[in-house]
This record gives sequence, structure tokens and C-alpha cells, in this order.
Amino acid sequence: MNTNPGMDGMIEGVIVGITNELIPFLSNEKAVATAMMMQSILQGVRQTLPVYDSYLVLEHNDMTATLRTAAAALDGVAGDEAARVRERGATLGALADLPAPPDSTAVARAYNELGRALEANISDLDVIQRAGGADAAAADKALAAVRGHLAPRYLRDFSTFTLAGGFIGRS
Amino acid sequence: MTCDTIPVAYNALGVSMEQQLVSFLQRVMPDADSVRVSGFAPIPGGFSRETFRFDAVVVRDGAEETLAFILRKNPPDVVALLQTSREVEHQLIEAVRAHTTIPVSRSYGAEMDTNVFGEAAMLIERMHGSGQTSNLFNEGPDAHQADDVMRHLCEVLVELHTTDLAKLNVGGQLSDPRGVGIDTTSWDAYMDSTFEYYISSYPSIAYDPAAMVLLDASLTLRRNKPRPLPLVLVHGDFNPANFLYQDGRVTALIDWENSRVGDPREDLGWMVAMDNMSNTSVMAHPTDEGGFLAYYNKLTGWNITPEELGYFIMFGTMNIAVPVTDAVRRRAAKENEVFLNLYLIQPSISTLIAFTQLLGYPGAPA
Repeated sequence: MNTNPGMDGMIEGVIVGITNELIPFLSNEKAVATAMMMQSILQGVRQTLPVYDSYLVLEHNDMTATLRTAAAALDGVAGDEAARVRERGATLGALADLPAPPDSTAVARAYNELGRALEANISDLDVIQRAGGADAAAADKALAAVRGHLAPRYLRDFSTFTLAGGFIGRS
Repeated sequence: MTCDTIPVAYNALGVSMEQQLVSFLQRVMPDADSVRVSGFAPIPGGFSRETFRFDAVVVRDGAEETLAFILRKNPPDVVALLQTSREVEHQLIEAVRAHTTIPVSRSYGAEMDTNVFGEAAMLIERMHGSGQTSNLFNEGPDAHQADDVMRHLCEVLVELHTTDLAKLNVGGQLSDPRGVGIDTTSWDAYMDSTFEYYISSYPSIAYDPAAMVLLDASLTLRRNKPRPLPLVLVHGDFNPANFLYQDGRVTALIDWENSRVGDPREDLGWMVAMDNMSNTSVMAHPTDEGGFLAYYNKLTGWNITPEELGYFIMFGTMNIAVPVTDAVRRRAAKENEVFLNLYLIQPSISTLIAFTQLLGYPGAPA
């Protein structure tokens, strides 16, 4: 995955592109408004993405607690409705809390640093390979390990971030 | 000299684009009694240059002639994918016209004074023929012409690759047009200096370590140099979108800005890469000859193998990947806000996948 630009940078780029390269060429006011609505949604997504997972976890854990609290409040109340509230408190409310997700900025930073390390390995292994001899075979093996790591990464990037239809804009 | 359209753009001196075109045409056609320009409009597409179309009515000795033109203009330096010279491109096109039968637009001249058209520009003939080359593939409306067009395209490429280099490399300007230290005194020197260019460029252009397969490819190419072939003039962007066609023939090979001295297999390799990226199938034609490579080999006798082609897919792609990756880097670093430079990340992923296949990465798709 790219971390520079990351997903936020890509979305920001689309917003800027709409402003600079699309809106000035729209002659219809409704189309301009639609473009600006698209920017608004994209900006909303930008603001949500960094907190999305942590809010889901926070609110997941808060909902289980709320189900338990609500059930406890109906202690001694008779009737099917109260029984169902207590049942939800006892089942869904008993779900274990989820762990807080890691800080995505810190993950991206560490991910980038590790990527640079693999990159440096490729350069160093090339020197050993070019020197030849027995060490070259070991370097071949080490490079194969790096390549074995990279192949599924590129495949994942391809399957998640590309679309059919080729290079848009070339006839 | 008159201008019969509403001016759409003015240069720094407040002169309209049309008036500048009239002045330019008057300069390159001194025998014209009058010139009128009309229909100036941008042409969509074309990633590296800004292109505009217009017509000019030229009167000579009382006879009126309407000529079709394209103004091919540099984008501002900060957003340019390739830093190339319109003057060099003009001289090359005229050399190709003079020394070959390759269909190519006449170039009327280059204007390097940025005060005239805003950026350096050149004026070329607008050729007849369709540029919608995607219509030739995937059961498109012109699919019945695909074999004949690709047969001719192959013959055009062979003529380019077998024309005496000295006739096309005017003033030696195409030996190292980027000024990056390419040495064309021999095939080995060319390959070695090109490896050095690719490898030394990597640290400064790799905006993200996700591009590291490009580094691996450059180093692997250097460790596994193939057999030599004669250095020739390569088109440099020989791809499924860079020709026009009509009635089963190529009417123009276009976009010569990345032309240079190189190995002929680079053009073939880049075509394969772009064929894959563009969802086209140039290399599968002409079918009765066994495809583009087989026909190319038949015409040249060079017997280029699929393995060599694989090598030059990477070698030829790297020539474009270096400036393109640098453009993405500049966008990622927010040196500019050009959307194309961001978009390039997405289609480039298929190139990275292709490299993993060609390098034999364990687990890469076959």
C-alpha cells in the first residue's frame, strides 16, 4: 500500500482536482453545485476516516454497557418486553469489549520505515550478487524472500485499488 | 493577415493566440499573400503536451488553400511529465519526412520564445485518420481493420528502426536528449549508462517504498544484460494511442517527443506494456503473421525472443517510469496540484504487477 500519499492524500487530491480542473469548466450552475456536493462528501469522508475504527470500537463497547445498564434498570419489572430487554443485556450486553485500534498514523509511519528497510536490502543484496561467488547464491535466496513478501502486496494493491478499463484518457 | 474567430487566449503581451498563429504562419510561409485562422480549440487527451487544433486559409498567388494544423505546446515546467524540446522534435519530424516513407505530420516549425504562445510550442500538420485506436480492438467498430493497420504499423516501426541513425539523429541531439549522461558510443555503453540513470534516479523519485519493484527491476536488468543489437532511433512512446489510421493503413505515427537513440527492443517492450495497460491487443496482430513480434522478426531478421521482449518491457518502461514517478513524487510533495500526476498512481499499479511477473516473483500471477 502507498502511505505517501495515503488514502487521505488521495481524497484531498480529488477535492483539489475538482476545484482546479473541473469546476472552472462547468457552465451549468446545477453541475457546479453537484461538484461542490461531491467535494463536501469527500471532505466528510476525509474527516471520518481517521476516527472511523476507533469510534466504532468506542461505541461498540459503550453499546454493550448500555444494554447491560438498561437491563439492570428493569430489575423486578414483569412482562415480555422487560424480559426481552434483560435477555439482550445478558447476551449482546455480555460481549467482550473490543481493543482500541492502533493509531493509524503511527502504523503508517512504521510501515513506511519497514518498506524503506526492504528497499535498502534490495540495493545491498545487488552488491553481493554482482560480486559473485558463494555469497551471491545466498543473496539470491535473500532477494527471493523479499520478492516473496512483495508479490502478494502488489496483488492486493491491484485487486483493491485498480479498476478495469485501462488508462483513462488514452484512446 | 486577419483572424476570424473570437480570441480565446492572450499571451503576456496581450496578443491573441490567433494573431500569434497568423504571425507564426506568415513567418514560416513567406510566400503567402494572406493567412486567416479559425476554429482554434483544445484537443482532449495527450498527457504530456497541450494540443490545440485550428484551420488556416492561406492565399498564395490568388489561390486559396485551407490547411489543418495542430499547435503542440509545452505545459508549464512545474507540471510537465517530460522535459523535452519542441525544436528538437521539429527537427526530428522533418528528418523523418526527408529520409523515410514513415507517415508523419509535417512540422512547420517550433517557437521557443515563451512570450509568443505562453510556453514553447510547435506547429504541425493535422493529419487525416482516426485517433480512436481503441475502436480497432475488443470488437470495436474498426476491428475488421486491425490486422491491416497493425501490419502497416509494424512496417513503419521497422523502417524507423532500420533507417541510418546518422540521418535522423540531427546534430546528435537525440543521443542524450534528457541530458542525464547517456553514452551512445556503443550498445554496451548505452545500456550501462542507462542502467546508471535508472538506478541513480530511484532514491530521488521514489515517493513511497511501494515502488521498490522498480529498483529491483533496474538492478536485475543490469545484472542480466542481453545480447546486443544495433542502436537505432526509437520512437520512445510507441503505444496503442500514438498513431492515426484509415482504411487499413497508418496515416501518421504521432508524438515524437521522447524519441532518442536506443535499443529497438525498447519500442516493442513499451508497446507490450501499454497494450496491457490500455486493454488493447496491438501485439496480437497481424494474426496471419503470428502477431506483431513475429512479423517484426520476419522483416528485420533480428529474431527477438519473448524472453528478450520481457527484458525490454521493463527496460523500456523504466525510461518512462523515471519521469512519471518523479511527476507523482512532485505531486505527493505538493509541489503542484495537477490531478493527472495523482491519478497516475492508480494505472501504474498494473505496471508494478507486470514487473513482478517478469522478474519471477514467487507467487506472482503467471
